[in-house]
Amino acid sequence: MKIAVCVKHAVDETELKVDSGGNPQLKGASTKMSTFDKNAVEEALRLKAAHQGEVVVVTIGTPEAKKTMKEALAMGADRGMLVSADPLAMDTRRTSELLVAALRRGGPYDMILCSEGSSDMYSGLVPPMLGELLDLPYVGYARKIDVSGQLAKIERALEDSVEVVEAPLPLVVSVVSEINEPRYPTLIQIMQAGKKPMEDLTPEALLPGATPPVPLVREMKAQAMARKRVLYEGLPEETAKKLVDALAAEGVLPR
Amino acid sequence: MTVKIWAVSESPSVANEVASVAAAIAGGAGGGYVVVGLDDSGPLLAGDEKLVVRANTLLSASPEAASDALAVAAKEANPDVILVGSTRDGKEIASRLAVKLGRPCSSEVFGVALGTGALRGKRNVFAGKFIAEVSMTLPCVVALKVGTSPTLPASAALAKERMVGVAAPKTKMVERREKQKGTVDLRGAKLIVSAGRGIKKKEDLTLISDLAAALGGAVGCSRPLSADMGWLPEEHHIGLTGVTVHPDLYLAVGISGQLQHVAGVKDSKVIAAVNTDKSAPMFEASDYGVVGDLYAVLPAMLREIKARRH
Repeated sequence: MKIAVCVKHAVDETELKVDSGGNPQLKGASTKMSTFDKNAVEEALRLKAAHQGEVVVVTIGTPEAKKTMKEALAMGADRGMLVSADPLAMDTRRTSELLVAALRRGGPYDMILCSEGSSDMYSGLVPPMLGELLDLPYVGYARKIDVSGQLAKIERALEDSVEVVEAPLPLVVSVVSEINEPRYPTLIQIMQAGKKPMEDLTPEALLPGATPPVPLVREMKAQAMARKRVLYEGLPEETAKKLVDALAAEGVLPR
Repeated sequence: MTVKIWAVSESPSVANEVASVAAAIAGGAGGGYVVVGLDDSGPLLAGDEKLVVRANTLLSASPEAASDALAVAAKEANPDVILVGSTRDGKEIASRLAVKLGRPCSSEVFGVALGTGALRGKRNVFAGKFIAEVSMTLPCVVALKVGTSPTLPASAALAKERMVGVAAPKTKMVERREKQKGTVDLRGAKLIVSAGRGIKKKEDLTLISDLAAALGGAVGCSRPLSADMGWLPEEHHIGLTGVTVHPDLYLAVGISGQLQHVAGVKDSKVIAAVNTDKSAPMFEASDYGVVGDLYAVLPAMLREIKARRH
């Protein structure tokens, strides 16, 4: 099986600071592979182990995204494609178009894997757009993938139900994080990752003559967490009573 | 300018909420709104107009077929704004429609308002640490964050029908299992007691369920308890990638309060936490907190609540 995995190099939301204007301090912010993308890489590696083949990682990012690319390669992916552009400066449609153009260069693939959404923006729109633009079957929110011959049988985790869906290869699949537990690369794998092939691509080469991207985000402001933050410390009987008293006073306990 | 709004009723659980947002936008702009249903996706309640789109295949079972059919109908009617609920299937329908119709699209949007030639809205980014303001030029497709808007009374408008032809979907659903209803309905719960890693073993979850039962509330959990330990089914998982809740009271027990978890509870009216670690981020996101051992604090709370009943 030839598998492509789309990953995103994202700002680490847990470390992200607020600047003096209330905006996210994106310059110099700590970055990482988007959390759930590790599950997509893991699933690709699991499928490769079962069916042989190749795993190709595709990402759109600034030069710093090489870090995420190397992490995916260290986990076990065979080669990478990096499109040099800032994903935060475009909408999901342009992101999808660039990924599709990159995928068409290195393809065809039997399966294109993504996570359900990125840990920074969490739109969840790119995976179905890939299916739509590539005119391939798309299955979203997979929690289990079985491939037999040219048929994929996939369990989808929806809000109130689980669906089992069948689709022929090639197809696009997005995974939820409960599908697997991503592996940690070994030190040797991390050192060898730098030697694996990585192709550099540009938006100009992939989408010649395209109009400039239009980001939909106008501004980002820190979320006001207007919580009271009253803390009770001491003996359990006393603190429990104080908490129940406070909640009763708020009117949120049943009478 | 009069605008034409479509509220797509993809799932009965969110249909009325999407319609209420459509009504608010249309009312402010002096336009009308159409509630659009898919074959048997449920009765259409509200709406200045109602339209049921049917096709040669079951649309409510396939987001792909649904978006194909909606695209055909939308090209005829040309609504300025197409609203869909930001459910898992709803997001697929929205993004497919956006590609088919060549329109900008955003998901998990709330607080929408019509500007000049554009629809503005807000969405949580960086796991809810920041709120982004988004602007989509008309015509556009928007997937609305659900569970945040009021619902509407039913209208008397009669539903028109439109039959369209679509290609057979590329995927085939062979089985559908409903998750156990009744045992957990977190989205509508008024009170939730939620368990985290502070719970040492599965049997101790009775501490949580006993307190929830005494308060007439539902039981939730942070991701590790469902995904890693498997102590509770996945539908109990509250957070960014799980269920988003907005109860009157959210009580987080032994939950450290990672951003991904807090993102799913921050619309709660009152948040309380019990944790041994005074520096747990959950306290930052709480109105009231008890620093202490849940194994002592929860039984004490239960006694206190029962004592008040007498």
